[in-house]
Amino acid sequence: MQHEKRSLTRNCTIWCRSQRHMEEKASASPASFISQAVVPGDVVLDLTNFSNHTIKLGGGLYQNCDAISVMKSGELKFSKPNKYWVESSQKRYVPCVEDHVLGIVVDSRSDNFLVDIKGPALAFLPVLAFEGGTRRNIPKFEVGTLLYVRVVKANVGMNPELLCMDASGKAAEFGPLKDGYMFESSTGLAQMLLGSPTCSILVALGKKVSFEIAVGLNGRVWVNAESPSNIILVSNAIMRSENLSGVQQQIMVDSCFREFKDL
Amino acid sequence: METLLFLVDGRTPNQLRPLTCSRNVLNRIHGSASWSQGDTKVVAAIYGPKSGTKKGENLEKACIEVIWKPKTGQSGKPEKEYEMILRRTLQSICLLNIHPNTTTSVIVRVVNDDDALLPCAINASCAALVDVGIPLNHLAVAICCGVVESGFVILDPSKIEEQKMKAFVHLVFPNSVLSVLPEESLHVGDEAKEHGLISSVTHGRMSVDDYLHCLERGRAASAKLSAFLRKNLQSQVPSNT
Repeated sequence: MQHEKRSLTRNCTIWCRSQRHMEEKASASPASFISQAVVPGDVVLDLTNFSNHTIKLGGGLYQNCDAISVMKSGELKFSKPNKYWVESSQKRYVPCVEDHVLGIVVDSRSDNFLVDIKGPALAFLPVLAFEGGTRRNIPKFEVGTLLYVRVVKANVGMNPELLCMDASGKAAEFGPLKDGYMFESSTGLAQMLLGSPTCSILVALGKKVSFEIAVGLNGRVWVNAESPSNIILVSNAIMRSENLSGVQQQIMVDSCFREFKDL
Repeated sequence: METLLFLVDGRTPNQLRPLTCSRNVLNRIHGSASWSQGDTKVVAAIYGPKSGTKKGENLEKACIEVIWKPKTGQSGKPEKEYEMILRRTLQSICLLNIHPNTTTSVIVRVVNDDDALLPCAINASCAALVDVGIPLNHLAVAICCGVVESGFVILDPSKIEEQKMKAFVHLVFPNSVLSVLPEESLHVGDEAKEHGLISSVTHGRMSVDDYLHCLERGRAASAKLSAFLRKNLQSQVPSNT
């Protein structure tokens, strides 16, 4: 069920990554480029023929006079009725509103915690941004605490802002993550893990061992299980699964567990 | 009538040395790429964007700083010159207003030098910028053209061939793009956009005609380099299951 909740958010997030919403005249469908690999400089949409349509642009695309051009290398995706974006995988993260990320506290000020979310700037987490937070019960986070947080503001040129509660003010699993092991990977792997239906690596691992996992869209993954060897197995399997297809992931998980039993 | 000229390693003057490019070669770096042309090999590593700009830089734009590390010895004046040229070239291909008030550090490490070092470094840095995910308005492909005494132009010379030349020029062109727009709109005046020139650095003396001849050869070669780079970038796009 937890996967369901996160995957819904992920689908909304991808299109929410518009840096601008634009109302433009749209035209002939650029069907030739959808689901194709594109490189920076490619012109994928001609706006002069569209009329009275709204197009929503996600990450990797920008408007250049009367055309939409690509600024990151990746695969061009389209979602009906009018959303375009470029899907790519990087080691760094570009903050977007409503993303759930894993941050590490680097400093605390009187009214904010400074949290590193692998983006261009440090993010601010207000000290009162917790369920039932008042000046009297400010949580004490040490430097290095791992937090599962939600991005609420991500404007160009400003530090992003975070919150440790959901839209209705409840804690809802946000907050510090204790024990377990955190590793860093690329944003593409995080999106694959959060995809719906549940990705095959998690299904395959779930059949063999019970574990708890938190995935941040900024490329950080936290895993917890009963014994350290299980944690290591699950982490290694996930790290190796990035470029494999569903069936290959299944085979890889089986071989990991066989090797472990042989040890 | 041009006589057939073969270079030391058996290439014709219009042939480039074997190219290899790989991205994400270094683990802890935010983005990296290695590019080799023949025996020349350069690795570019990129950190960024990080918050804060250097003193005196425009706060509305991202700042790019370049550090050039030679294969042996200390950095001296030639390295500073390379840093400056590389910085100006990369600034023109990046979209600097997407991440204002940030610094991106490009560190270029020469692994092996067999001439055409600057074009190799530019190609490697461009591939590394794509790996980090910094927004670019187009890619840059760089080529070196040499002119021999008789006025003949050779592409991508190696060190042995460079000694026989009276002059050579490093040229950087934008890559060839795919577009849904009709061909004419991609033209500026009479020329196609991809025939524009981003950077040009000459060494030695050559006549204007020789220079224009180099430009022509360089453009033809840049189309091949563009295609190679596009294929390389596409093959590393992860396929979603």
